[in-house]
Amino acid sequence: MPRIFREVITLRNFEFFEPTTIEDASNLLTQYNGKAKLLAGGTDLIIEMKARTATPEYVISLENIPGLVGIDYDEATGLRIGALTKMRTLEQDPTIRERYTALAEGAGEVGGVQIRHLATVGGNISHGSPAADTAAPLLALGAQVNIASADGERTVPIESFFLGPGQTVLETGEIVTGFECPPRGANEGSQYIKQKIREVMDLAFVGVASSAKTDNGAVSDVKIGLAAVAPTPLRATDAEAIVNGNSLTAELLEQAGTAASAQSSPISDLRCSAEHRREIVGVLTRRTLQAAADRAQG
Amino acid sequence: MSEYAVLGKRVTRVDALEKVTGAAQYGGDVHLPGMLHGKFVRSAHPHAKILNIDTSEAEKLPGVRAIVTQDDVESGRRVFATDKVLYLGEPIAAVAATDPDIAEEAADLIKIDYEVLPAVQDVMEAIEPDAPRLHSDDTKDSPARRAITAELRKLERDKSPADHSARIAELNTQLEATEDDVYYNISAETHSAAGDVEQGFAESDLVVEDTYVIPRVHQTYMEPHVSVADVESTGKVTVWASTQGPFAIRSGIAGTLGIPLNQINVVATTMGGGFGGRFGVALTHVPAVLLSQKTGRPVKIQMTREEEFTDGRPAPGCVIKLKTGVKNDGTILAREGLAFWDSGSVSGASIGSTIRLRGVYKFPHLKVDAYGVYTNKSGTAAYRAPGTPQVAFAGESQLDDIARKLDLDPVEFRLKNMRVEGDPVPAGPNEPKVGYKETLQAVADAVDWKNRTKGPNQGWGVAIGDWTNGCGPGGMFVSIHEDGSARIFHGSMDITGTDTALAQIVAEILTLSYEEVAITRGDTDSAPYATGSGGSVVTFTMGNTAKLAAEDTRRRLLELAAERLNTDVESLELKDGKVSTIEADPPKSIGFGELAAYSLSTTGGPIVGKGSFARKPSTPALAAQIAKVEIDPDTGRIKVLKMAASQDVGFAINPMAVEGQIEGGAVQGYAWATMEEMQYNEEGNVNPGFVDYRVPTTADLPTVESVIVEVEAPDGPFGAKGVGEPPITPTLATMANAVADAVGIRITELPMKPEKVVDALHGNGK
Amino acid sequence: MKKHPVSLTVNTDTYDLLIEPRKTLLATLRDTIGLTGTKEGCSTGDCGACTVIVDGKAVTSCMMLGVSANGKEITTVEGLASRDQLHPIQQAFMDKGGYQCGFCTPGFIVASKAFLDENPNATEAEIRHALGNNICRCTGYTKIIEAVMSAAEVMRNS
Ligand SMILES: Cc1cc2nc3c(=O)[nH]c(=O)nc-3n(C[C@H](O)[C@H](O)[C@H](O)COP(=O)(O)OP(=O)(O)OC[C@H]3O[C@@H](n4cnc5c(N)ncnc54)[C@H](O)[C@@H]3O)c2cc1C
Ligand code: FES
Ligand code: FES
Repeated sequence: MPRIFREVITLRNFEFFEPTTIEDASNLLTQYNGKAKLLAGGTDLIIEMKARTATPEYVISLENIPGLVGIDYDEATGLRIGALTKMRTLEQDPTIRERYTALAEGAGEVGGVQIRHLATVGGNISHGSPAADTAAPLLALGAQVNIASADGERTVPIESFFLGPGQTVLETGEIVTGFECPPRGANEGSQYIKQKIREVMDLAFVGVASSAKTDNGAVSDVKIGLAAVAPTPLRATDAEAIVNGNSLTAELLEQAGTAASAQSSPISDLRCSAEHRREIVGVLTRRTLQAAADRAQG
Repeated sequence: MSEYAVLGKRVTRVDALEKVTGAAQYGGDVHLPGMLHGKFVRSAHPHAKILNIDTSEAEKLPGVRAIVTQDDVESGRRVFATDKVLYLGEPIAAVAATDPDIAEEAADLIKIDYEVLPAVQDVMEAIEPDAPRLHSDDTKDSPARRAITAELRKLERDKSPADHSARIAELNTQLEATEDDVYYNISAETHSAAGDVEQGFAESDLVVEDTYVIPRVHQTYMEPHVSVADVESTGKVTVWASTQGPFAIRSGIAGTLGIPLNQINVVATTMGGGFGGRFGVALTHVPAVLLSQKTGRPVKIQMTREEEFTDGRPAPGCVIKLKTGVKNDGTILAREGLAFWDSGSVSGASIGSTIRLRGVYKFPHLKVDAYGVYTNKSGTAAYRAPGTPQVAFAGESQLDDIARKLDLDPVEFRLKNMRVEGDPVPAGPNEPKVGYKETLQAVADAVDWKNRTKGPNQGWGVAIGDWTNGCGPGGMFVSIHEDGSARIFHGSMDITGTDTALAQIVAEILTLSYEEVAITRGDTDSAPYATGSGGSVVTFTMGNTAKLAAEDTRRRLLELAAERLNTDVESLELKDGKVSTIEADPPKSIGFGELAAYSLSTTGGPIVGKGSFARKPSTPALAAQIAKVEIDPDTGRIKVLKMAASQDVGFAINPMAVEGQIEGGAVQGYAWATMEEMQYNEEGNVNPGFVDYRVPTTADLPTVESVIVEVEAPDGPFGAKGVGEPPITPTLATMANAVADAVGIRITELPMKPEKVVDALHGNGK
Repeated sequence: MKKHPVSLTVNTDTYDLLIEPRKTLLATLRDTIGLTGTKEGCSTGDCGACTVIVDGKAVTSCMMLGVSANGKEITTVEGLASRDQLHPIQQAFMDKGGYQCGFCTPGFIVASKAFLDENPNATEAEIRHALGNNICRCTGYTKIIEAVMSAAEVMRNS
C-alpha cells in the first residue's frame, strides 16, 4: 500500500464545537454523522488527525460539559468514574489505588505523565484499541459502561462494549459518560501487568489484569482481562473457571495460564510474534492471579 | 591536575544560560519575513521505475510558488530520484508554498506513475544472484575466489624458471568451480590481513565461529533536519542550517549547484544533536536553496520525525561472520572476519571500521574482509564511532564466550592479550603511547570486579571498544579588548561543550579567569575554515588551534609589554591577566587592558592572535564498560542494575563535559543492544516513529558511573584526546555478555528484545 | 474555516488571539505568539520537547489544540526565570551539566518543575519514572537526574 508522507505539524482544517450539554453534543454528532469526532483528551484523535487516518470536518469537544469528570465511591453502590477523568487522576486516587488497584496500575501505564495529564479513561475505552491499558483492568473489575445520547441513556457491560479493532457498540450520537464498578471489600485484590520493552512510554505487547476475592484460602469471583492479544480486549473465562473456588497452587496457576493463552488469539506484527504474545499471556495470568489473591489477603 | 588554574575544572558551559532559558536559536526557530515553506514529494515504493512526474495540478493550487525536481540540479548530482526510486520515501520533487499545509497539499497533487520493481531489504539476500539489483556493475568476488585469483596472478607474473603449470591448471579449475562465488549488489569492499590465519587456527587449541547480526539504527538526534535558505537577487545564498559541518555544507551546496564558495554563506544555528548524522547537504539544504533560487524568497524546509526515519541517513546494520582461535592458556592467536554492511541505496556504510575486529589485542594472525551491500533503504551515515559498535559487538561477544569456555576471568583474559606501547598493530603501525590496560583496569576497580556478587538471574558483562579520534584543519582568532578581557572567534560547531573547552584553553594560556574569555562562532562568510564537528575532532583540532591562537596572543602581549616597560620579552611572563617581570626586583607589571588600549592608540593596532592548524597524529583511545543486569526469565525483560564506564580521554579539560559524553554514549549503546532497530518489510521501513522505534528514557536506566582515565596524548592539546565517540563502542557487547552471564544464553542478533531472550532461553531447555 | 477567539495567559501575559482550530497549542506558542523556547521533536506526544504547564499540569503541547487552551494559564520555559534569578531547576541544569545539545532541555526543565511542585520530596526512582515522557539523546540522563535531585533539595530548603 503506497504511503503518503505528511506534515505532522498541523492538522486538516475542521470546525470546532464546544457544547455544554450531552444533548447538544449528541445532536451535533448526529447532524454531522460520519464527519464528526468527539474530542476528549485528544491523545488518540490528534495523532490520527496528524497521520490523516482521521480527517473529521467537525470536532466536538466534551470539555465544557459538566459532570463528566470525577471519581465517586460508595460502599453500597460502588465506584463511578466520569468519562473525562484523566489517567493521572485515576492513577493517583487513593480509593482506586486501594480497592481497584489494577485500574490505578493500568491508568499509570498509559504513556508518560504529560500524556496522562491529557488522556481520559473514556477516550481510552471509546477508541476501541485492543491494547488500551485500562481495558483489561475494567474487564477484571466488572465494569459497566454508561452511554448517553440525546435520546436517552443505556448501560452495557464492558465485555460487550468492544466489537473489533477501533469498533465499539456506540451508535450514532452516543457518548460514553462514565464507568461503574461494583463495590469491593477488603478481601478483594487485583493487579495489572503490561509486557513492554521500555519501562514507561511503551504500548502493551500484552496486558493482563486479574481480580479475585479470597475466602479461607480459596479464590472466588475471579475475573481476568486480557489486552493486545485478540481483536478486542477480552475476558479469559476458561482460566477464571479453572481457579474459581479453589486455592491457588502452582499447578492450578499453570493450568489457568495455559487456558488464558488458549483463549487469546493474537497476531504477529512488528512488535512480536503471536507465539510470544500467547506465552506471555500465560506468564502474566499466573502472576496477576497470584498477586490479586495475595493483595486480597492483605 | 592542580597545576592548571582553569583547565581540568568543572566549569559551567558558555552556552548554559541560553539553553536553560529557551533562548538558544535552533534551525527551526529561524523565521524570515516572506518565508515560504518547502515540502517533499516522496517515493511510495522501495523500488520502482518512475514513468512520469505530473506537476500540473499542483502548480494550479493557489499559494504554490515553485516545484523543483532533479531537472533543476545542473551538476546532475542526485538530489531527487529521476529514472528510478531506490527506497520508500526517497525525494522525487519539492514544493514551496506560502504555508506548510498548502505545500503539503500540493505535494499530494503531484502525480507520479511508477512501475513497481521487486525490492530487497536484507543484506544476505541482496548478495545472491537472484536478488533484485539496485545498480549495474555491482559484482565482486568472495574472499575465497579472491585468494585463487591472487595466487594465479602471482604465479603468472613469476619470472623464475619454476614450472607452475600444474598449479595454474589446478587454480583455473578451482576458479571455474567457484564461478558462482561472487556477491551481487556490492557497493564497496575492503580487505586486510596480517600473518597467516590458517596457520593461526591450526596452532589454536580452541577455535570458535559465530555469525552476528546488528540492526540499522537511527542517530535520533532530537532536532529533526531543518534549513532556511535565502537567495538574494544577486545570487548570493545564505543558509541557516542545523549542521555539524557548516563548511562541508558550503562546499556541498557549491558542488551540487555550481555556485562559487564566496557566494554561499552558511549560518550554523544551535543544533539539536547530530552524532554523525548531520553532515549531508542533500536532505534539506540543497532543496531549500533550489526552491529559494526559483522563487527569490526565503524557504524553510523542516523534516518531520517520520521523514527522519524514512529519509534520514542512519547507521548501517551488518552481518559479521567471525572466527577466533586461542591457546588453552588464553593466548589469542588468530581471527578471521567477513562482514556485509547494509549500505542502503548508496555506497558509504562504515565498512572501513571492519578492521577494528582486531580490537586492541595482539593478533599474530588476522584476516578481515568486508563488503558494502546495496539494499532498498536510504543511504547511511556516521553514528558515533561509525562502524565500531557493530564490530566490537561481534569481537567482544566472541571473546566472552572463549573466556567462559576456557574458564578464564574475562577481564584477566583481555588484559593478558592487550597491546601496549610499541606492540605491532595487526595490519597497522606500532602502538604509540596507549592506556588500554589502565582503562579496563579502572572500570574493573570501580565495580570491585574481583569481589562481584550476583543473585539469581543476575549477571555481569564486560567489554571494550577502541577508537582513534579524527583530525582536521581549523583556524581561530583571539582578541584582547581594552578592558583586558578576551574574545575567541572561530567557525567550529559546538554540541558537546567544545566552545567551553576552547575558552578554558585560551584562559589558561593567557592567565585569565574563565569568565574573562568570551567566544563567538562566526558563519562561513566571516569565520576561518573549521573542520566539521564529527569524528571526535573538535577538542583535538580546535583545542590545538586555540592553543596556537592563545600563544600568538601571548607573544604579542609580551612584545607590547616589553616595549612599554622598557625591558625584553625574556624577562616577562603572563600572570593573572597582567604581564609582569619574572624577577620581583624591580617589580613591574602592566594589565592586558592597558596594553590593548596602548596598542590601539599607537602603531600596534588591535591585539589579535591567530591560530591556524592542519593536523597532528591522533592517538587511539579505549572505552571499557561493565554492566550488571537482571533478567526476568519468563518475560525476557532485561533490567540494568549497574553500569560503569571508563574511558581514556588523555586529559579531561572539563571533566563534567567528558562525563556527559561517556554517560550519553553508554546509554546509546545500551539502547542499540536492547531496543533500537529500524525494521523493514517488503514495503520499506515499518517503524518510522517513536512508538515502535524505542529510545530509552530516564526510567530505563540507573546512574551511569563514569570513570575518567588520563593517559596523555602526545599531540593532543594539554594531552587531551577526542572523547565523543568511544563510549558507545563497548556497550552492545557489554550488555550481551551480561545477559550471557545472567542466564547462560548467547544472543548474537540484536536488539535483545524480550521475545529473543525468552526464545533463547527455550533453546537452552529452560 | 472559522477561527476561534482564544484568550490565554502565557507566563505573565494575557493574549487574545483568533486562531484556526487546527493549530496545536505548540504551534500557537511557537508560530502565533513567537515563543520558540518550547521545542518540537516528534509532534506525536512521544518526546516531551514540547512540554508546557497548563493550569499546573505538565502536558505535551503538540497533543493539545490551541483552542482547548482557552481561558487557561500556561507556563513555558521562558516563564520560569525572574528578571534577576533563574529558577532553581534551571540553575541546577547549568551547574550539573544536565544538558548537551540543549534541545530537550526546555521540556525537561518544565516537566521537572511541574512534578517537583507537586512532589517536593520525590525520590530518584520517582523522578526517573515521572520524567519518562521526555527523551534526551545526548546526556544518558545521569546528569539530568542529578540536576533535578539537587534542585529539589534547593526548592525544599527555600
Ligand atoms: C505518546 C502517547 C503514548 C500513549 N501511550 C498509551 C499507552 O501506553 N496505553 C494506552 O492505552 N494508550 C496510550 N496512548 C493512547 C491514548 O493516550 C489513550 O488511549 C487515551 O486514553 C485516549 O484518551 P483521550 O481522552 O486522549 O482520547 P481522544 O483522543 O480525545 O479520543 C479518542 C477516541 O475516542 C473518542 N471519544 C473520546 N471520548 C469519548 C466519549 N466520552 N464517548 C465517546 N467517544 C469518545 C474520540 O472521538 C476518539 O475517536 C498513547 C498516546 C500517545 C500520544
Ligand atoms: S513534540 Fe510534543 S512530544 Fe515530541
Ligand atoms: S541535550 Fe541533546 S537531547 Fe538532551
